[in-house]
Amino acid sequence: MSSAAKTLDANDSRLTPFEGGGKLFTVGLVLGVIGLGGAAGVGATQGDHWVGFFHSYLVAFCYFLAIALGGLFFVTLQHLTRAGWSVTVRRIAELMAGALPWLGVLSLPIVIPTVMGNHALYEWADATIRANDHILHHKEPYLNNTFFLVRMVVFFGFWSLLARFFLKNSTAQDTSGDAALTSKQERVAPVSMLLFALTISYGAIDLIMSLMPHWFSTIIGVYYFAGAVMSSMATIILISKYLQSKGKLKGIITVEHYHDLGKLMFAFTFFWAYIAFSQFMLIWYANMPEGTMFYAPRQEGQWVTFSVLLLFGHFIIPFIGVMSRHAKRKTGILAFWAVWLLGAHYLDMFYMIKPTLIAIHGMAPGQLHLSLTDPLCWIGMLGFFVAAVGSGMKKHRLVPVKDPRLSEALAFENY
Amino acid sequence: MAEQHAVDGKQPTYGLIAQYDDVTSLVHACEKVKNAGYSKWDSYSPFPVHGIDPAMGIKPTKLPLLVFAMGITGTCVAILMQWWMNAHDYQFIISGKPMWSVPANIPVAFELTVLFAALTAIFSTLARNALPRFHHPLFQSERFARATDDKFFIGIEAKDGLFSAEQTRALLESTGAVAVDTIADDSKVNHKLPKPIVWFIAISFVAGFIPLGFIAKAWVSTNPAPRIHPNPNMDFQPKFKAQTANPHFDDGRAMRPDIEGTVAQGALRGDAAFERGLDASENWLSGYPTQVEISDATMNRGEERFNIYCQPCHGAAGYGDGPVARRMVLLQEPKWVAPTSLNQGYLRTMPEGKLFNTITHGVRNMNGYGHMIPPADRWAIIMYIRALQESQLSGGSN
Amino acid sequence: MTASVANIDIDNTGVDPRARDSLVLGDQDLHSVTEMVCGIPEQERIHRNWWIAFTLAASLMGLFFANIAYLFWEGTGIWGNNNPVGWGWPIVNFVFWVGIGHAGTLISAILFLLRQKWRMSIARFAEAMTVFAVVCALVFPGIHIGRPWLPYWMFPLPNQMQMWPNFRSPLLWDVFAVGTYGTVSALFWYYGMIPDLATLRDRSKTKLRKFLYGAFSMGWTGSARHWHRYERTYLILAALATPLVLSVHSVVSFDFAVAQLPGWHTTIFPPYFVAGAIFSGFAMVVTLAVPVRHFFGLKKLITLRHLENMNMIILATGTMVGYAYSMEFFIAWYGASEYEGFAFVNRAFGPYAWAYWTMVSCNVISPQLFWFKKIRTTPVLMVIVCIFVNIGMWFERFVITVTSLHRDFLPSSWGYFTPTIFDMMLFLGSFGLFSTLFLLFLRWIPVVAIAEVKATMPQAHMHHEDEHHSEDTDGAATHG
Repeated sequence: MSSAAKTLDANDSRLTPFEGGGKLFTVGLVLGVIGLGGAAGVGATQGDHWVGFFHSYLVAFCYFLAIALGGLFFVTLQHLTRAGWSVTVRRIAELMAGALPWLGVLSLPIVIPTVMGNHALYEWADATIRANDHILHHKEPYLNNTFFLVRMVVFFGFWSLLARFFLKNSTAQDTSGDAALTSKQERVAPVSMLLFALTISYGAIDLIMSLMPHWFSTIIGVYYFAGAVMSSMATIILISKYLQSKGKLKGIITVEHYHDLGKLMFAFTFFWAYIAFSQFMLIWYANMPEGTMFYAPRQEGQWVTFSVLLLFGHFIIPFIGVMSRHAKRKTGILAFWAVWLLGAHYLDMFYMIKPTLIAIHGMAPGQLHLSLTDPLCWIGMLGFFVAAVGSGMKKHRLVPVKDPRLSEALAFENY
Repeated sequence: MAEQHAVDGKQPTYGLIAQYDDVTSLVHACEKVKNAGYSKWDSYSPFPVHGIDPAMGIKPTKLPLLVFAMGITGTCVAILMQWWMNAHDYQFIISGKPMWSVPANIPVAFELTVLFAALTAIFSTLARNALPRFHHPLFQSERFARATDDKFFIGIEAKDGLFSAEQTRALLESTGAVAVDTIADDSKVNHKLPKPIVWFIAISFVAGFIPLGFIAKAWVSTNPAPRIHPNPNMDFQPKFKAQTANPHFDDGRAMRPDIEGTVAQGALRGDAAFERGLDASENWLSGYPTQVEISDATMNRGEERFNIYCQPCHGAAGYGDGPVARRMVLLQEPKWVAPTSLNQGYLRTMPEGKLFNTITHGVRNMNGYGHMIPPADRWAIIMYIRALQESQLSGGSN
Repeated sequence: MTASVANIDIDNTGVDPRARDSLVLGDQDLHSVTEMVCGIPEQERIHRNWWIAFTLAASLMGLFFANIAYLFWEGTGIWGNNNPVGWGWPIVNFVFWVGIGHAGTLISAILFLLRQKWRMSIARFAEAMTVFAVVCALVFPGIHIGRPWLPYWMFPLPNQMQMWPNFRSPLLWDVFAVGTYGTVSALFWYYGMIPDLATLRDRSKTKLRKFLYGAFSMGWTGSARHWHRYERTYLILAALATPLVLSVHSVVSFDFAVAQLPGWHTTIFPPYFVAGAIFSGFAMVVTLAVPVRHFFGLKKLITLRHLENMNMIILATGTMVGYAYSMEFFIAWYGASEYEGFAFVNRAFGPYAWAYWTMVSCNVISPQLFWFKKIRTTPVLMVIVCIFVNIGMWFERFVITVTSLHRDFLPSSWGYFTPTIFDMMLFLGSFGLFSTLFLLFLRWIPVVAIAEVKATMPQAHMHHEDEHHSEDTDGAATHG
């Protein structure tokens, strides 16, 4: 049944900027400084030339980068497919993508030391190591300090500009109601999507795959992308729940939207497992050292338990939990699983990055090498992410109120 | 109690149907019928009408739970099957992978999960809908044929407790039905399949067992007749096989014995000393046969050959500590017997011919190397072993 | 033809964000849709064009079976397979046909889950295409096993050797994957047809038709209670078919990717093959949809908008395939394995460079033409592009299979593969099998999913007093 084309008033209190965003901004900044500062303090005293600190930092960084990139992907995709259902949640994704410039700045503690030749994270950053290693010498045209810098600038530049483009045009439409702005964003979407695919892939190659520079896998970009979309869907769900608990967006984001977000979260949980399995099984099957070197440290000691934890926690349990229609339409249950999957995403990043401490930096095999820097870095990054999104919530309306397809989003019903 | 009037005095009533021309009136009508308390009724439409489930009070089906359960069953069946077939009943070693290779079992497990779930979904829905049901009293109505085209109907069965010819008709007419018809219940009339079809199905079904019967019989019985070769391939080759008859020879055998005095190439063991390490009186030879040149060249050759064939177990200096031996110790192999140390006293005094015999045929747990090392090289190795023994005796300085 | 409205193209490809163009054109109502679609199988005498096409298709199919008979008689030596190229055209054809089949499931299942209304009018014949493509695909592994009287060895059946199949082999995973896929697709296709077969049953004029359509429609009455379960089942099947379609072509890619051969052993194969399958499948759907809608008078149901949407998917998946090529190329260099690097240089500049560049131009370059609206909304032009896409996708499987085999690790083993006339006749003949089945489908079975299309029309939506009546047919989503 179709209802009358519903519209919303631009000054409807449910969608006007969220005043609490200011508080989120402040609290987030404080948390960020304390978290990262504390981690730096701990890292300085660990006596490992910052190696442990940088790895913890990278885990937390890649975690939130994935969420922000997932938000950017969602926005681009909705414009590419001319979707109607998602208009009411799109602004939230736009605000999540708004964290990308912040992440660009937060990438500096990784990028600057690497560019200057510090190999606490990336072995290949040191010119002497490159010269003495036959394989790294071969890769030098790509894995060198200058090109790395150029790529990071290009990636974060592109992501930030694209996020800003969408947010700017989308919020401009809040006041003008000009349908041509939608057409403009739709025209940009296809090429942007292609560039997004390339930048996220090479970003994953640079940040994660080159940690073990002798190893390679053609699917690493897709792997990171899968985790990014899954965790960004979970984040949109949680942000929506939060805002609704503060009196915003009630009746605008309905159970139908949660259902759809839940379906996407579910689908990408499965997609992540499919990609992770493809990568693992193919390397396991051919059993060639250039592939198995990645999994070898992850199959010893405590890492065996961790791998099982990842399999069950990131796939099997949430897959069964989110499968039913009921779970996706009861927002309390859905929020539970969103939190669960965000926890699983941390396990994923930890799994991808931390064993480098063993394989490259010679720490004891079979150990997880947990350290205070891990939670502190994560809290710090969380703080800055919250600050970024919070500041956006304070400045902009929470829904693209004059989007031409808003009525579709308000009225649709699921099967 | 249900009132069932005989229509035309012959058949009882099946029920009433009401026709509607659009979706909105259908849904509203359904609400009225539901609110009136009827239970044995249904609505009919050419496509699923959105909003009709709550209007009719149709509760969500429990099908998804059944499908999920059968899907999990499929997963378990697949894993169990693969474990039992490849890791238990007939174990395969494939490229060094574990007998039960779980990563390799995932694809089939996934497929069977989907297969079980899909088959369950389809067949249980058909069963719950009581389909196939080839005859339905409603098919008598010409009007009802439009139910699969562009018209909508409500049908209320006479079996319903609240049914009454007048009141139910009045209710339906009040909902804005375009027409209300009575449908006779002709289920008592014989609507069976035509006899020939029934016979055909029955005979085909039974006939289907005949090939299975043949297979079963072949399974449990033996047959002296030769197998049928639908495609001869290379099954009948124009050659004589072992144990067969060949009429061209006097003794009729295809297998020919060796001609007296035939020696295979390379098998001539002419020189007892060189080939077998025996002296003239069939005792173990001490010293070297005349063919062996006592020179640096032979010693070097012996060293090279020793390091290839003997060193892995006996070690570079002959103490029985070669890399193979050390690895067996590392793996704590229960059945491993340490290689003999060549520097023991009795081996220093053992005649060279006996050493030669040991290299050729092996001793105790050592295999023979005669097929791998030609006699000349064996003597060279013995020369080198003597040098090793000598060197270890005098502290390794020679 | 039976079209009650003039069979011309109306442009409904507008991109104004404020309104969505109609998907069902020309002031149709429920009855006219029934007439338009049922009119085809209900014809007493089908148009001569159908007979011409059918004769051609049946002849090719005859060629196909004749070649298979000769193959069984003589053995697989009649093919060009040799050492080192032990896999030749048969496996390429197998992957080609399985890939084409995937688009049908994607249209039926995945677009259904994504609530894309425009899938309704093409879903039926796309699913039919899937079923027939899978049949063609299954023939090739069936005939290539060398001793074709022993196919039951592929299945875990008790046998006299008390042996079981090797579950660690991706070739066996194929048996299960493609078998499951064929079964589920066929059932999904048939299940979707039941309400439409009931429509034909209720309109039948002859006893034979009534009997046959009646038998196959299982006594469907259109009961709302039945529809309820039917809808739920359809949703479950769609939700199952989606991962199934991903898994099938992934398992097919495992045939190559689990090996250690340079050019084969790369982790991106599974999603790359799936994207490629969807790419070639949609190209085949478009290639079939354009003549079908023209000759059968269905331009009001299979509109330019439908074709344009499919072409955009072709562009998207073609770009994904291009992405995979570039990633493979980059990692081949990055991996610093001289064998891997050589494999890729050899593809581009070795003895099979002609095949490689055909592949690249057909797969990467030709779909890029769909950036131009003119090309993606003009039926004749899109068919040309789509035929090139399918040629390119066949060559992709050929390049992957043959270039890695003909130049593997030991130069002393290097060789060259040339197909024989029998390879070619079998491939050509498989198109005959496919076309014959497809033409029979067009003749007797409703080509468009009538019930589903009706559910998207305005007549299917309830009207409230305050609504302004619009041409909206895929606005506020309803199920279908």
